[in-house]
Amino acid sequence: MRPPMGMGDRGRGGPHRGPGGPDRGPARTLSELSVTVWLTPENATFYIKNDFLHIKTETYEGRAHLCREFPFELEWEFISVMNEEQAEVGIIKSVSLFEGAGEELLRTELRRRYYAPVIDKILGVKERYGFSYWRVHTAEGNVNFTLHDTYRSIIRASHNRVVLLDVNGNRFEIPDVQALDRKSYKKIELYL
Amino acid sequence: MKKTRKPTPEERVRELYPAFDADSAVACFVTYLDLADPLKKTENVILFTSKELIAWRDGREAKREPMENLARVSLGRGVGCCWVEYTRKSDGETVLLTRADNAQQPRLGKDIKRINRFLRQGVITQEESDGDTEGKICPKCQKPYPRGSHVCPHCASKSRAIRRLLGMASAEWWRIALSVLLFFASTGVSILIPMINRDMVDLYIQNTEAEASTAFLLGFLGVILSLLLANILRRVIAMARGHLLAVAGNNLVLRLRDMVFRKIQELSIAKISARTSGDLMKHVNGDTQEIKRFLVDHVPNMIEQVLLLVGISVLMFGYDPLMAALILIPMPLVALCFRFFWRFMHSMFRKRWNVNSQGSAVLHDIFSGIRVVKSYGMEKREEARFVGIAAQEKDLQLRIERFWAVLMPILQFFMGFGEFVLLYYVGTQMLAGQMTAGEMSQFSSYTSMIFGPLMALMRFPRMFMHMMVSLTRVYDIIDENVDVADGHEQDLARIDGYIDINHISFGYTEGEDVLSDVDLHVKPGEFIGLVGRSGVGKSTLINLVMRMYDVEEGSICIDGVDVRNISQESLRRQMGVVLQETFLFTGSIWQNLTYAKPNATREEVVQAAKMAGAHEFIVRLPDGYNTYVGERGHTLSGGERQRIAIARALLHDPRILILDEATSALDTQTEKLIQDALASLSSGRTTIAIAHRLSTLRNATRLVVLDEGRVAEVGTHDELMAKEGIYYGLVMAQREMTKMS
Repeated sequence: MRPPMGMGDRGRGGPHRGPGGPDRGPARTLSELSVTVWLTPENATFYIKNDFLHIKTETYEGRAHLCREFPFELEWEFISVMNEEQAEVGIIKSVSLFEGAGEELLRTELRRRYYAPVIDKILGVKERYGFSYWRVHTAEGNVNFTLHDTYRSIIRASHNRVVLLDVNGNRFEIPDVQALDRKSYKKIELYL
Repeated sequence: MKKTRKPTPEERVRELYPAFDADSAVACFVTYLDLADPLKKTENVILFTSKELIAWRDGREAKREPMENLARVSLGRGVGCCWVEYTRKSDGETVLLTRADNAQQPRLGKDIKRINRFLRQGVITQEESDGDTEGKICPKCQKPYPRGSHVCPHCASKSRAIRRLLGMASAEWWRIALSVLLFFASTGVSILIPMINRDMVDLYIQNTEAEASTAFLLGFLGVILSLLLANILRRVIAMARGHLLAVAGNNLVLRLRDMVFRKIQELSIAKISARTSGDLMKHVNGDTQEIKRFLVDHVPNMIEQVLLLVGISVLMFGYDPLMAALILIPMPLVALCFRFFWRFMHSMFRKRWNVNSQGSAVLHDIFSGIRVVKSYGMEKREEARFVGIAAQEKDLQLRIERFWAVLMPILQFFMGFGEFVLLYYVGTQMLAGQMTAGEMSQFSSYTSMIFGPLMALMRFPRMFMHMMVSLTRVYDIIDENVDVADGHEQDLARIDGYIDINHISFGYTEGEDVLSDVDLHVKPGEFIGLVGRSGVGKSTLINLVMRMYDVEEGSICIDGVDVRNISQESLRRQMGVVLQETFLFTGSIWQNLTYAKPNATREEVVQAAKMAGAHEFIVRLPDGYNTYVGERGHTLSGGERQRIAIARALLHDPRILILDEATSALDTQTEKLIQDALASLSSGRTTIAIAHRLSTLRNATRLVVLDEGRVAEVGTHDELMAKEGIYYGLVMAQREMTKMS
């Protein structure tokens, strides 16, 4: 079942969120909301506790949820850090600011949160009954997945970068379609 | 993501934990993403028993926690993945338990729900049937069902589907039978015409020996006349057949459309919102049309072509097997050639179609946003955007046409190549005196007639597939279970207005309760104001009272009867709803007002409109109550539409009134008017109202504050203000805002 006005259940909609649910926590004023805190190694420290990423700043210490502000364009820049209540603690302009261990923590956490195996080869596409069945090769080996409404499930994130959303809400990524081998490219070309 | 067959979670747990006792298991599941390394795969086996939680990572025990130390278990959502975490009672810490890809999310949601229920109530609830795949994946072929559907087009028996369709067509059986007979007749005539031609050539035109006697001329005239008659007969048969099939097909389509439409109306909001309105329209219009086209156009055409092919082949083989072989043998080659060519063209056509629809989308976008385009002075940019797409389309079209222009003649040449072979063979036969000129013309006619059936045969599988897709989609709707079904229903003739909400829980998606353990009892005539932040579950509660969905836990009773036992018709007949967004149907104001009570008298309607404060503005309109509203009609303001909706509800005279943000879009002055209208509407009825603007609820006998899906506060305005809780906070925030404005 889906909420009447909700987005699809295909993982496209809405920011990913923790178990807390939407928009909880104390109401804040617009002037509070419009302050941007830029997080740097000087004012924020990241660490892992209970396998979760945590942040410590002057005003907050606790779980940190990372959200890419421009997930299709900037993987490691403009990262919004949310607290348990889904309120923004601050923005990281670039994870590379946190050189060394901090940067590694952030990169790992972002990869954990944005799970999209990279397709390096398309082995086969078969279309039937409004679905397309894909056989691809990724770093994790051969994977099969199904797209419903193929045209709408293949998102052109940028000129050459393509994201595929399967029926289960899983994501697959092709960072550069032009870099695919000719056979693979021919298979996806029709949908681009 | 699909994986190869792995042992079920239970089998896997048994391997790792021989002491496993299925009776004491609350839940067990296996996931495959590593906890720390984002790209590594790890097998995480998780078992919740009534005593403890055990987790194994790659076959080794990694975590153990007594159940009594668990406060709750929850599901977190990433992008393309999710994770399970639990909170410990002893130190309040939240710990990551496992990560999984999105395919497992629904299943994990169900498990977590069961675990939390156990943590709350200490009871192990039975696992619902195959939570992992139920409703999403075909258990037979493991392929997903089409969205919102429960029929697998891969596994659905095609012959059964066709038989069912024929069953539906049985009312038209004599029309269909007659047209099949006519097919035989028209094929016969088609084959006959070249024969008459042959006689005309051989017996008359080429006959140098015969004298031009009267009998000869009459005979000649007879042949010409029979040729004419045969042609007329063929046309008449085609007309009669076309008429019969058109009637049969359209009757069938009407019946199908009615079935689909009726079924859609019966489905619950939950099932309907699983499909978009575009999808539904496609089902009612497009799919039934596709089925009709197949039955009325393609199947008859196919029958005719096959009969023709068989008839001609039999005739030719009977006459001269060698000649028949010369003509027929190259056919499969030509067919293959054509198929290859078609595939190539198809991909080009598809690309063009893609670009074309992109172009339409851009146009639609620009035209509907033309005010924005103009006000930002972006005409040049939009022009460039459109021209870019148009140029792309031009290039593709050019490629297609060039290709078509070059390849088509070549293909046609090869298709006609058989005729040259035939010409050579027939020529030598004629020179040897074994064949007449008439026979030659007869067989060259047959040769050219053979291509039609061949092309049709090649197109047929594709058309069949299109039709099957439509057919399964149509069956899918017709066969859909009515989930909010009328059970042992009871007609409540007149509701008093008691509403008892008994400890209900409900969520739209598994594992995410929107409402949990809500308990509320309303007496007849009470005005209940539902208050709370957005997303807290107010509208959901109202939907449940109206039984748009069924609750998962607990019950909702009206006058002491569970809503699931009240017939939906009698329930909704006594409920009136005014929503934030007022939907007016295309038609006159009068038609919209009398929607719920078509037999209302003019006096009643005018009275209702007056009570809703709508009468005066309606009368001021040039067309009064006959004013046409709706998509292409007179534009009414939000306040005017709202007042019409209230008048409509008044006329409906419901026992239970539901107001969902009925006044939120209005300015203060209009709101005052509508407030008064609502007051007259709600007097003497049980009313549940949602409003963000708290002043709207000043008439409420009780205010119910929802927070985090639960009832947080209940009381009158004064009581809640004195309490200084959530309601107090909301009122203060609004006062602050009013001061600012």
